[in-house]
Amino acid sequence: MKNYCLSVLVSLLFSGCFLCQVNQAAAGIFPYEFQQKVFDNGFKVILIPMDSPGIVAYYSIVRTGSRDEYEPGHSGFAHFFEHMMFRGTKNYPGHVYDRLITEIGANANAYTSNDITCYHLKFASEDLEKVMELESDRFQNLFYSEQAFKTEAGAVHGEYLKSLSSPWMVLNEKLYDTAFDVHTYKHTTIGFREDIEAMPTMYEYSKSFFNRYYRPENVILLIVGDINPAASFELAQKYYGDWQPGYVPPKIPAEPEQKRERKAEVTFSGKTLPILSINYKAMVFDPTDIEMAACYLLGDIVFGETSEIYKKLVIDEQRVRFIGANFSASRDPGLFSIYTMVNTEDDIENIKNEIYRAIEFYQDNLVDEKRLNDLKSNLKYSFLMRLNTAEAVAGRLARLIAMTGNIESVDQLYQSYDKVTTEDIITAANKYLVKQKRTVIVLKGEI
Amino acid sequence: MKKYLLLVVLFVFSIISCESYRGIKVIKLPVKTDPTISFRIWFKVGSQNDPAGKAGLAALTSTMLTQASTKINSYDQILEKLYPLAADYSASVDKEMTIISGRVHQDNLEKYYELLIQAILQPAFKTEDFERIKTNTLNYLEKTLRYSNDEAFGKETLYQFIFEGTAYGHPEDGLIETVNSITIEDVEQFYRTHFIRDNVVIGIGGGFDGGLVQRLKKDLAKLPAGAPAAVAAPEPEPIDGIHIKLVEKNTRSTGISFGFPISVLRGEDDFYALWLVNSWFGEHRNSSSHLYQVIREARGMNYGDYSYIECFPNGWARQFPPPNVGRQQQIFEVWIRPVQNQAAHFALRAAVRELQQLVDNGMTAEDFELTRKFLKKYHLHYAPTTSMRLGYKIDDEFYSVDDHLKTLSKMLDRLTLDQVNSAIKKHLQYQNLKIAMITQNAEELKQALVDNKPSPMKYSSPKPQQILDEDKEIETYPLNISAVNVLVLKADDIFIK
Repeated sequence: MKNYCLSVLVSLLFSGCFLCQVNQAAAGIFPYEFQQKVFDNGFKVILIPMDSPGIVAYYSIVRTGSRDEYEPGHSGFAHFFEHMMFRGTKNYPGHVYDRLITEIGANANAYTSNDITCYHLKFASEDLEKVMELESDRFQNLFYSEQAFKTEAGAVHGEYLKSLSSPWMVLNEKLYDTAFDVHTYKHTTIGFREDIEAMPTMYEYSKSFFNRYYRPENVILLIVGDINPAASFELAQKYYGDWQPGYVPPKIPAEPEQKRERKAEVTFSGKTLPILSINYKAMVFDPTDIEMAACYLLGDIVFGETSEIYKKLVIDEQRVRFIGANFSASRDPGLFSIYTMVNTEDDIENIKNEIYRAIEFYQDNLVDEKRLNDLKSNLKYSFLMRLNTAEAVAGRLARLIAMTGNIESVDQLYQSYDKVTTEDIITAANKYLVKQKRTVIVLKGEI
Repeated sequence: MKKYLLLVVLFVFSIISCESYRGIKVIKLPVKTDPTISFRIWFKVGSQNDPAGKAGLAALTSTMLTQASTKINSYDQILEKLYPLAADYSASVDKEMTIISGRVHQDNLEKYYELLIQAILQPAFKTEDFERIKTNTLNYLEKTLRYSNDEAFGKETLYQFIFEGTAYGHPEDGLIETVNSITIEDVEQFYRTHFIRDNVVIGIGGGFDGGLVQRLKKDLAKLPAGAPAAVAAPEPEPIDGIHIKLVEKNTRSTGISFGFPISVLRGEDDFYALWLVNSWFGEHRNSSSHLYQVIREARGMNYGDYSYIECFPNGWARQFPPPNVGRQQQIFEVWIRPVQNQAAHFALRAAVRELQQLVDNGMTAEDFELTRKFLKKYHLHYAPTTSMRLGYKIDDEFYSVDDHLKTLSKMLDRLTLDQVNSAIKKHLQYQNLKIAMITQNAEELKQALVDNKPSPMKYSSPKPQQILDEDKEIETYPLNISAVNVLVLKADDIFIK
């Protein structure tokens, strides 16, 4: 059953300690009411009460990821820093933090990608204040010794080594290094190998990283589940209200426009079928941009499970193991990617040409109206069906919030999908899926 | 009342019931506030039912139901029809259980139901689907499992090592030669023999109504009757001493898994005692794990270190234990995530030494109380969704227990330190182990292991004296490994036949 609720009015009962209070009233796809406030120090808190008996999901969204690693030699630092955040403070050293989290039976973890570092916990609602005390403390007062810093560098190196046994990791390293010249998307989130190996020497730099990026203007707190919004706002004010602003934006170099196709091959030191990765430079994420929404849909129309090329290459002719596309934008222009695993090396060129022909078809022909509507239906139900727990809601929203800084972008994005026409799809295909914006990587196994 | 007791409501606020219809049992989990419907159709068959020389047949057959054509629709037509519903169905095959599961929004139930029931009752068994699925399986066994995920490779090698010669002794997906030998006729025969009315249990949860349950029962009653194949619990060979399989491949890091069979299952008091012990020793993906603290936190050697008393497939991709991997025989398993090759010997010694200390000394009162407190709330994260809770209800039926999730909570209140330490003595040990290591320079490592050669750790940073002192003990910790018990294999030698 559809349950498109109006988002909620925020209470005006609180004292004037907040910079502003946002009232959201437009109807949209997001089925839960939410409230949000921005404190004087720039810290934004978004609360989503929902039916989640006794359980709360608590997401601290840092709008910093590997994108922000603009200084040479420091790739992978956002992810490394995610590890350091578990090393504690003077008030609560790492082992004390761990013990307190253990005592309350919380599930605590974190992840980093190109545009976000996210710290998330799931716990009993009665422990909200304890969690807020601990989390606000480590975000404001992180403290670790050089020895602890070096030890954690070993764990990060171990994480890198474990990833290397996947051909996808090897492929992505080559892809981003080839597709970008100067932008920080040139490296993967875990970073260049030589930078990872040099991490133990960067203790002083790590403190500068924290001081610049872990500031209230750059962090959004998202709490979902069994919560009392008024009490939660009060707690947030108590624990985060005095956090000193001081965010220093990264000086990320702009990537010059790509004017020629790029190609590269890479070898994986193990057995794998060849992987073909075809990529096009994308745009900045903007949920109100119909052209961007059209590109998102285009990826699925041309390469999704119901596409002609999927039927031909995967089901009928069985020349590839799978084919798919990821046409999602990022905070700065990233890549739209098409990937396939090819059964025989001899067929790689032919498969490449099949992919180009599939794109050309949608550059010249309107997509069937029914397919477009089926896709919109798929997006709607996929989104709604995944919002079934507090953690799922918070997890689904975190990346969007990191990219735009606001929760309204969810409804805006789905409204944009609804507006996309068959003509918009043709326009997007002709504007973005062009040869000069393309980077092609072929990965082959060594044995 | 402590507020966390409210969490328990999560598991009881909806009525959970079982009923039987024409021999078909139905496990219902109605949740009126859930706008979706979850299906878990359980067939009492698994990879242990694979005929001799046909390992992988159960998995291939199940995939032929869920990723292939039916007599009504070709596979691409099925994909097209499912697409606007944003729903699908899939099969998961474990040693003893096969689950065909799916979830759909109430708005789309009618269209979805037809497709799901056709997949189960009217598979087409087309040759072209069979070839596609079989080739995918072979690619997984030959390349992905052996060359793209050393952690999966190590764990699967360990299970095969411990259960060799039994019905658990091959991966669910089969072995390269046996999968190659499977024909479409084998698949049809397996379907006729095992996907029968007398082997199925219906699991349904969420916002469904009585009419849907009746319809499901009526439709699945169309499956042929038959005699379910009874398979006795596997009896792995007793382990005498430490046995190691070193799998050689080109890799910069070494993944380590080791373990031994245990004779404890859900429902037995000792299971809950060991559950608490295991949580302290190696809670999955959690920094509260003692092994994690010793190997990762204090020494920075790898990404994580955990232990298990029930199988935990795909541990690298999930945080909490999956339902519907019920087994009559479990192992105690330790998983050391990849360490640098030169640290492999030290990491193995450190883990076995910690196990010895646990067995010799038991848990302290302080650790016992902390872990009890932790689990009291932590286990409530195990099943946050209707589908997961339905999965747990099905497992209750498998193990013949009355609500495992509630029992966990009750048993935590009852357990004593003495009980826990007695369970450690009874079920855990460190002298008789099977170990799988995916590594480079395996012969060199073999010699070092057999010679009990010291394996000093070198760190890139200073470490506290307490750690360095402990390292001195670890680096010469005797593992007592005989050369005859160390097998060196190439990656290409694994999962052949």
